[in-house]
Amino acid sequence: MNGRERLLAFLTGDSVDSLPLMPITMMYAADFAGVKYGQYVTDFRALVESQIAIADAFDFDFVSCISDPAREAADCGARVAMFEDQPPAIVETDALLASKSTLSTLTIPDPRTATRMGDRVRAAALFRERVGDRKLIEGWIEGPCAEAADLRGINTLMMDFFDDPAFVRELFEFTLELGVQFARAQVEAGADLIGVGDAAASLVGPEIYREFVWPHEKRLVDELHAMGTRVRLHICGNTTSILEPMGQLGCDIVDLDFMVPMDKARAAMGPDQILLGNIDPVRILRGAAPETVRAAIAQCHQQTRPRYIVGAGCEVPRATPEANLRVLTDYARSTMP
Amino acid sequence: MPDLQELGEAIKRGDRDQSAMLTNAAIAAKVPAQEILDVMVAAMDVVGQRFQKNEIFVPEMLIAARAMKESLALLEPLLVDAGITPIAKAVIGTVEGDLHDIGKNLVAMMWKGANFDVIDLGTNVSPQKFVDAVRDNNAQLVGLSALLTTTMPAIKATVAALKAAGLDTAKVVIGGAPVTQEYADEVGADGYAPDAASAVNVARALL
Repeated sequence: MNGRERLLAFLTGDSVDSLPLMPITMMYAADFAGVKYGQYVTDFRALVESQIAIADAFDFDFVSCISDPAREAADCGARVAMFEDQPPAIVETDALLASKSTLSTLTIPDPRTATRMGDRVRAAALFRERVGDRKLIEGWIEGPCAEAADLRGINTLMMDFFDDPAFVRELFEFTLELGVQFARAQVEAGADLIGVGDAAASLVGPEIYREFVWPHEKRLVDELHAMGTRVRLHICGNTTSILEPMGQLGCDIVDLDFMVPMDKARAAMGPDQILLGNIDPVRILRGAAPETVRAAIAQCHQQTRPRYIVGAGCEVPRATPEANLRVLTDYARSTMP
Repeated sequence: MPDLQELGEAIKRGDRDQSAMLTNAAIAAKVPAQEILDVMVAAMDVVGQRFQKNEIFVPEMLIAARAMKESLALLEPLLVDAGITPIAKAVIGTVEGDLHDIGKNLVAMMWKGANFDVIDLGTNVSPQKFVDAVRDNNAQLVGLSALLTTTMPAIKATVAALKAAGLDTAKVVIGGAPVTQEYADEVGADGYAPDAASAVNVARALL
């Protein structure tokens, strides 16, 4: 089986020849290909070639458009700091929606022509041209809560939940539609699956998650399925307190960060939910010996099998020893679900 | 007699209007400033404990800290008059190259809530700016935050700059998503705090 065949079969519950392998690489992929990260996030050709290089070298089952959380916000007009060799960062002290009244003036950029969103759409199209059906192609969008934080400022949004719930709902409606349109453009360009990064959701507890975040994430997941694509949800941070509702979103893959005990996730989400992750990227994957990496990934697998995909808790960090990343490949390729 | 216990409860639930009203009432009733302050600090300690136990989360912590900050501002003139000073002076910031600030902000708020005088340098702070602020303010405590593995080396550079400037009496506490105790040991930081509530305990233990 090639990577795309393996993943598509696994997602639909068919038998596969080994565990699927989907670690997130961004800066690691750029470094591997000798590309500065500033170029990786602004030139889709650099991103695509770096992703193909890392995916081929480590036999990943997929390639991904993921790069940084600022694409949508930048095209909406947010101030974003660009760096030569690290990810762009949204300048929160000058947040686009520092004034709530600005929301009513915002329009959703055309994802095909907007500068940074369009660059990602072109990446999806070039991936299709370059990898064909060999590997699964992953598009990427910000989730409704994360994008709201990008536009409003994360500190302010956290207090808005109490200070102005109506505004939060209005903002989430905007970010939901922004995500849907961006995803649709990537699917039309060639993406097989859409990754949804909703990092800010890990900062809220179960009550706020259920009341504000979950309904919008659920609508997003349903819209993505309605356009015929598949969904990988990744919420950076500790989501242990919201595992149960996350499992009710209907995502094809729930990708968990390292703080979440995998056995708890399995218990909370039931036996059918595909789980991905979640070894500690810094302490274990980058910092430990290969045998420790192997033991950690084997434990994740044991706690969640058989509906399990090999990956780290978050991005494979820069300067991770190649031998350690190779452990993930060897484990996946030598093990059945 | 105003209900100081209710003041503490108002801070814990982040009710800024109620906590301000009760603080003003306590001031008007000439409750000693130290007593009012003790109630506020104790309330924020409870907020920190609840956060550590996952009973509350970032939004609840932020609104509690905001209520505390606003009440403390009302009390400030009385504290000055009574000669009550913060227990330590702290300088905090996100290190050079990193614009993420929510973790740093939470620690700053919790340190303020513990009655530290906190000078917040913001984000993307150079080692030299930390050195200048620590020296100029005679700070006893320094908080360094980084969210990215790529910006963690700026923690090491800042710790080194403080030592090179002869400011190693100031205790350095570091934190942020990729930061570990091992990294703190490696770069010569005095303490590592995995979350904002721990940052108060770590700082108190170091001072």
